[in-house]
Amino acid sequence: MPQSEYVVQMKGINKVYPNGIAANRGVDFNVRRGEIHALMGENGAGKSTLMKMLFGLEQPTSGEIIVNGETVNLTSPTVAISKGIGMVHQHFMLVPSLTVAENIVLGMAPKKGGLFMDMESAVKLTEEYAEKYNLHVDPKAKVMDIPVGMKQKVEILKALVRGAKILILDEPTAVLTTQETAELFRELINLKEQGYTIIFISHKLNEIKQITDRLTIMRAGKSMGVYETASITKEEISRLMVGRDVILTVEKEKAQPTDTVLSVKDLEYTNEWNKKMLDKVSFSVRKGEILGIAGVEGNGQRELVDMLFNLNRPDAGSVKVNGKDIVGVSQRNIRSLGVSLIPEDRMTYGIAATASIEENLISDRVGAKRFNKGPLFDMKAIHKECDDLIRDFKVLCKSGQQKVGMLSGGNIQKVVVAREFSCDPVLIIADQPTRGIDVGATEFIRKKLVELSRAGAAVLLVSADLNEVMELSDSLIVMCGGKIAAYFEDTAMLTDEIMGEYMLGLKRQSDEEIGRVCHE
Amino acid sequence: MNNKSMKDRRLQVFEILRGAAAITLALAVATVFIFLCSDEPFTALKYLLIGPIVKDNGGFNTSSFYTILAAMIPTIFTGLATCVMFSAGQFNLASEGCVMAGGFVGALCGIYIHMNTGLHAVVCVVIAAALCGLIMLVPAILKVKLGASEMVMSLMMNYIIMYVVLHFLNNTFADRSKGSTQTYPFDETAKIPSLVPGGSKLTWGFVVALVFVVIVALFMYRTKWGYTIRMIGINKAFSEYSGMNVGGVIVLSQIIGGVLAGMGGSIEVLGRFNTFLWKELPGYGWAGVTIAILAKNNPIFVPFAAFFIAYLNKGCMLMSTHSDVPSEMIDIIQAAIFLFFAAEQFLAGYRQKLVVRSAQADLAKTETAEGGKA
Repeated sequence: MPQSEYVVQMKGINKVYPNGIAANRGVDFNVRRGEIHALMGENGAGKSTLMKMLFGLEQPTSGEIIVNGETVNLTSPTVAISKGIGMVHQHFMLVPSLTVAENIVLGMAPKKGGLFMDMESAVKLTEEYAEKYNLHVDPKAKVMDIPVGMKQKVEILKALVRGAKILILDEPTAVLTTQETAELFRELINLKEQGYTIIFISHKLNEIKQITDRLTIMRAGKSMGVYETASITKEEISRLMVGRDVILTVEKEKAQPTDTVLSVKDLEYTNEWNKKMLDKVSFSVRKGEILGIAGVEGNGQRELVDMLFNLNRPDAGSVKVNGKDIVGVSQRNIRSLGVSLIPEDRMTYGIAATASIEENLISDRVGAKRFNKGPLFDMKAIHKECDDLIRDFKVLCKSGQQKVGMLSGGNIQKVVVAREFSCDPVLIIADQPTRGIDVGATEFIRKKLVELSRAGAAVLLVSADLNEVMELSDSLIVMCGGKIAAYFEDTAMLTDEIMGEYMLGLKRQSDEEIGRVCHE
Repeated sequence: MNNKSMKDRRLQVFEILRGAAAITLALAVATVFIFLCSDEPFTALKYLLIGPIVKDNGGFNTSSFYTILAAMIPTIFTGLATCVMFSAGQFNLASEGCVMAGGFVGALCGIYIHMNTGLHAVVCVVIAAALCGLIMLVPAILKVKLGASEMVMSLMMNYIIMYVVLHFLNNTFADRSKGSTQTYPFDETAKIPSLVPGGSKLTWGFVVALVFVVIVALFMYRTKWGYTIRMIGINKAFSEYSGMNVGGVIVLSQIIGGVLAGMGGSIEVLGRFNTFLWKELPGYGWAGVTIAILAKNNPIFVPFAAFFIAYLNKGCMLMSTHSDVPSEMIDIIQAAIFLFFAAEQFLAGYRQKLVVRSAQADLAKTETAEGGKA
């Protein structure tokens, strides 16, 4: 294939973040002129990092980027824009209080008399481009008053007005309704016909099959290859996206589940963008078992966990712990029922970064009798318990007085886990408990989870890591599009292929099969 | 353990050096200004730096030293009040108004309630403090229930408090026999006695202030309430998730702030004067903010910061009396110190942000590395 055919070439891209995380490892990524090219992969596969580098938001540690046959050094988005690259972010970068036209010309506004913004020509420019590219917007409307679909068009126009020939769209359909999506696709095909190149980031298989010419699949920071969209099946894509390189095994005895501890009934939630994130979700977790929730991120898992700890309120449905409804109940009371949570966002919920390890370990039990002598703390008792926890949970630190924010990610998580596991929980909700932490800490936390469940705790494990969720769970549900897509009573027979099909929405079990997850 | 204490000490030394550097830089800036605007810069500098405690004949100026200590009494209280509220992340500035309200109510109790020596002053201070605690409920509850900014609320409230006090002073409680607006003199029994002989303004209030430094320090670092206040200030989401009573403690922190500021105001009025005669906000609340920032919200450092401010005030006053440098100089010097400390704080905040950001990047990106290893 002649070189000139590629409008963007990224060769051997490595990206190591300052904290030593390798987000991209030797990635090759080529895009042909005038094609719609999908960049696929699960969250965290490295596709956003790759695109950030192409748009100048991040710089590669090593590797080469060639745009239109010229090796470029994209030090900032301004440079990237000057090379004809435009990006539409998933979260719109618009000023809500300004009009559509004002947003489009922001930073490059036509001036009248050298001082005042020339609104008329801004509106004219907007209309011209809107006409030319068939992206119909209302130039005089305020951005805060227009629907999401139109905001996206404004973003695309913004890029086009700035001379972009290559458009990067980061999960453009995530916020759109079906109709808006169809409209967007028509517009994208129109752009393609006019010679524009589009890079389309997504993990929705149907959409990819519908409009892209070729696709690159990423997994764990590496490229899994480039394929012609027409010549690859959805099943193959799903296998490439979510498969496991090495299968992890965890030794555990067979679960002996007894009474139901957590019971979730018909939970529904529609988010602020009017998207249904939870649709009649029902399940239960029993004493002594680990129930896993698998699924591509963004399919309602985060919302579900929020509901289970009153970090958000459902629109309908009930959540019961040992028969007591906990919807709208304060975290203090939820905790007093014996529920503990390892939060996904450990820096926001899990710790107070500038406080000491000790202060972080006692946050859920400061009122305990053993820690208080009259009005004052019994510092000896606190030191003792914390030193024990630090030892038992192998937190690597100089002392309990060290600031928790100075620890590594794995040790921070051990602090969180030490607190959440040491309060005699009857129900442990573990949300991505080992994300982003080192192998040693990961193994330790997984072992502890199994240990606690065998000792009689009910465990709900939410994880986007297939290895983790398949090996740790006794039984497992798959979430897709805010619904439970499948329930597997026994995880032993499961394969990556089966999981992939349910996770990516290619298959769905019948309601009866799913209903078996509710034990009463 | 040895390792730990060594590390802690090193950190402390580092912190102290950082503070000293800020003060040195500020004084250097002040020196530059003095050299620019004075014909006798060395005289001016002498009075600014050593004037407050050294007599012209070179001896230690005891009475001037007592004056400095006396000036610390209200600002220690407002400094403590601000420490508690800022620690909870509540940028409440109403300690200024509470000082005035506390002083006024304390004086009224001294005039209209009659009691024995000893008890009387205590009762006056307690009533003033309690009332100021109630005043702080307004911004605190509006913050918790409606999400209104406590900073804006408290700032505006200072003026409401001032005019309410002036209204009652002018129309209800004024002593018409006097040439200026003031209340009747309060009972001798309500007066806070002097600590040293010779009519010094250094009263037992100073001892009370130091006792409260210890109490507040213990409260903040050795009780579950103080702990909760600090955790909420560091990370509110974390505190809520941990099951702490966030709303309640936010209110509590501001009530404590009001109580401390009200004590400071009443002790100042009952110790320094015979009658209530403030006709505008006394400024101790603002000084308290400066002190809390200098002390990094740690109660133990409050007396030192208060001493520094009082010393500087005295030095500037002497400088303007004895040389040709205008007393407005103190504003410039204070502004400079504030600036350097704030800049240093800003850098600390920035560093923290970097840590958090890299950790978050870690969260978002490392599943990649994870998946690879697995």
